[in-house]
Amino acid sequence: MTSRREFFKYAGIAGGAVAATAVSRVAMAALPEPVIQTSPQTMAPLVPSSGRPYNPVVTLNGWTLPWRMNQGVKEFHLVAEPVVREMAPGFKAHLWGYNGQSPGPTIEVVEGDRIRIFVTNKLPEHTSIHWHGQRLPNGMDGVAGLNQPAIAPGKTFVYEFVARRPGTFMYHPHADEMVQMAMGMMGFWVTHPKEKNPLIDEVQRDFCFLLNAYDIDPGSYTPKIMTMLDFNLWSWNSRIFPGIDTLNVRLNDKVRIRVGNLTMTNHPIHVHGHEFTITGTDGGPTPKSTRWPEVTTDIAVGQMRQIEFVADEEGDWAFHCHKSHHTMNAMGHAVPTLIGVDHTGIAKKINKLIPDYMVMGERGMADMTEMEMPIPDNTAPMMTGEGPFGSVEMGGMFSVLKVRKDQKPGDYKDPGWYKHPKGTVAHEYSGPLTEPARFKAEGGQSMPRIQKSAQPTEVQVRKPTSHKDH
Amino acid sequence: MKLARSSRRIKLAVSLITVAVLAGCASVSVEQNLKRVNEEASEFTDGQLALARSAEDHAKRNEVAAKLLSAPVKQKEAVQLALVNSYSLQALLAQGWYESADAAQSGRISNPIFSFERMVAGDELELSRALSFGLLDVLTIPARQGIAERRIEQSQLRLTSEVVDHVTRVRQAWVRAVAAQQSLAYAKQVLESAEASAELARRMQSVGNFNRISRAREQAFYADAATRLATASHQATSTREELVRLLGLNESQAQVLQLPERLPDLPKQALDPSAVGKIATKSRIDIRLAQTSLEGAAKSQGLSNVTSFTDIELTARRNTKIDNATGTRSDPRGYEIGIRLPIFDWGGMQRDAWNARTISAANQLEATIRSAGSSLRESYSAYRTSYEIARHYREEVVPLRRVISEENQLRYNGMIIGVFELLADSRDQINTVIAAINSEQQFWLADAALQASLIGRPTNTSLSVTTSAPSAGGAGH
Repeated sequence: MTSRREFFKYAGIAGGAVAATAVSRVAMAALPEPVIQTSPQTMAPLVPSSGRPYNPVVTLNGWTLPWRMNQGVKEFHLVAEPVVREMAPGFKAHLWGYNGQSPGPTIEVVEGDRIRIFVTNKLPEHTSIHWHGQRLPNGMDGVAGLNQPAIAPGKTFVYEFVARRPGTFMYHPHADEMVQMAMGMMGFWVTHPKEKNPLIDEVQRDFCFLLNAYDIDPGSYTPKIMTMLDFNLWSWNSRIFPGIDTLNVRLNDKVRIRVGNLTMTNHPIHVHGHEFTITGTDGGPTPKSTRWPEVTTDIAVGQMRQIEFVADEEGDWAFHCHKSHHTMNAMGHAVPTLIGVDHTGIAKKINKLIPDYMVMGERGMADMTEMEMPIPDNTAPMMTGEGPFGSVEMGGMFSVLKVRKDQKPGDYKDPGWYKHPKGTVAHEYSGPLTEPARFKAEGGQSMPRIQKSAQPTEVQVRKPTSHKDH
Repeated sequence: MKLARSSRRIKLAVSLITVAVLAGCASVSVEQNLKRVNEEASEFTDGQLALARSAEDHAKRNEVAAKLLSAPVKQKEAVQLALVNSYSLQALLAQGWYESADAAQSGRISNPIFSFERMVAGDELELSRALSFGLLDVLTIPARQGIAERRIEQSQLRLTSEVVDHVTRVRQAWVRAVAAQQSLAYAKQVLESAEASAELARRMQSVGNFNRISRAREQAFYADAATRLATASHQATSTREELVRLLGLNESQAQVLQLPERLPDLPKQALDPSAVGKIATKSRIDIRLAQTSLEGAAKSQGLSNVTSFTDIELTARRNTKIDNATGTRSDPRGYEIGIRLPIFDWGGMQRDAWNARTISAANQLEATIRSAGSSLRESYSAYRTSYEIARHYREEVVPLRRVISEENQLRYNGMIIGVFELLADSRDQINTVIAAINSEQQFWLADAALQASLIGRPTNTSLSVTTSAPSAGGAGH
């Protein structure tokens, strides 16, 4: 098993050492010092100290890249390099990213800013950066081969353009794109409006994250880069539940959440307890007339969505992708359904051969979270997460929107579990049960089959029983 | 005249005594034979052989056998058991004895012929006494003595070689029987795993979670496993019975025979080639056998050069003639020499035959010497290779399988694989264990063969390929 230190050593040989020799110190001195962040925690918003003022965003389990002003130009320095990303406690991935993290830091600028971005390549292969959704000179669009030569390992390129329109954007490589995105190379970009815009509301909380997916074999560290659709880890900013931070807001805050999709499938993102409207896409703010209330919005591949709502319901509200397999961590797709299968006698027989065997799935999959059995190293359980009432049995793209009366403005700290007012939690009913009147439906099929099926199978469903015999 | 006569008598007596003494030297007893075999092979057999000749002997042997059979019979004990219990070995010993005795017989001169004649012719009565013996017989005594000694030596060496072969077969049969029994236990486990899969699949189908094909696949593996178990079971029986035969067990002894549950562990280190070379240079039976037969042939050839020509018979005669008419009595004495005339047979064919026999023996010796080295190298290679393979199984293959199983268990826990994959893996693991047992079996067979080869009774050593066959019942993908 490769330790983190060894990985860095290797990474250093692969990219860093090359960079050190190829990029001269004099040249580096002229560049803004690259800022590196290795903590996967959500960093406090970066309030601008130079340039035009704006209301900063909070990157879920991420951070915003500091800049320097150079004769009126905002200068950033991105370093493409191998990184180790903790995707969930106890599970680390060997990815490629920017400035110590995958995804890379969020770049926040203001409409009209002139931006100069230095990109140093410390990867073992060439790269480039495409500024997804931006209006910019063609030669700055970052498609290697089409708009520019690729950035060779050890080389530094510079991109320069004006952030012409406000909105939600992202950046990602456009050289060996499949591999580099499968390895986690991407980042968020927010262009704040220069002045009051009728389509852009002021908000108290502005969160952003990217949807990304990986295929990492349980027990291994590096994503399988050739996977097309069958990813096994569905992540927000390269984090999976229970590794994703909660979105903590103050009651009645206006909340904006910006989501970009760089996976290979669509994600219906769903918020509990509130309705939101879509106020922006990759194309910019949406006209007010096109907005309608929703609780789920489908974000297609390569798209960005900006949703807004007033957090006016206190509590801990689930916030997740509605594809239920996307709220699971690595699992086997060939695991047979064992629901209702009687294991009497068989378990004992199997135990003789495989002493550690335990029956799972006889009643469903929830056994998984109840038994807490050892699983391969460096793997997050398929479903987990201990809530105040037990396991939430989730993984992948799942988090919690925490709305609290007493959350201080600008405070993003986790307030802990919601304390429900008395009598507001679903509970076991202990009164008498009467058989409700049922409606006996008449009728049958509208178009019956000509060829009758064989003897109908009589399905004997085993009713839930105690769990003692395993 | 009288003096001369008496000196002749003395000479005759001396030569008769000499003959008797020489003839006595070439005698051989069963004890001598056994002593020789035990000296030669005790290190190999790790025990002493004895020929049971009385009821008492047999009772004693039965007692020892019963004691050996009271506990699981290890390889060493199996050899002991064969030594005391096997009637084939007893037969071999008796055979060795009569061969030696026959050989000794050939070194003795034929007994002299005494003939007495009584002739009456009228008044005359003639009594003639003659003592005759083959003159060449006596003259060639030292030569024939030597030949007989060689033949005795040869028969003793051959007996030792047969004993070595028998013991080797006992060892190998023991290894096969134990390994087969061990494999059978694991084949039962494979069946059990397959049975669990099949039963689970049946229940899955009955509640609607599996279709016919998925269930049939699991069922098919179970059906296959049952056949394999039947074969394994027969293998265990047949190898055990082979051992029973080699140990010479009777019905009731066979019933109480217990074998250890597993083959012995591999030795920490394999013999290295130089050690084997050192042991091997000590006189090998096969080479010495070839040597004695060459010496025997050479000596016989020398003798037959003389004897093939002719045969000379010497007769001492003393007659008594009584003439009743005259009342006179005379005692004429003298000798007679008879020579077989080589008219029809000049002995050429006989000499050719002996000549050819000598050439053949000389070539046989050279061939034996040459092939001895080669067969030893082959035996050693089989020994060393099977050792390395068995160790590879023990140190690499089986632990790897264990890692795979452990990881599969973890993957099962994490719901990354299902129970059928877990069961298929357990079968794979069991199959690997069976292959590992086979590899150990190969080693112990090769080890026994090498021991035999070293002492000079090369046994055929062919290594069969051991592989761990993956289970046929793949998990439901």
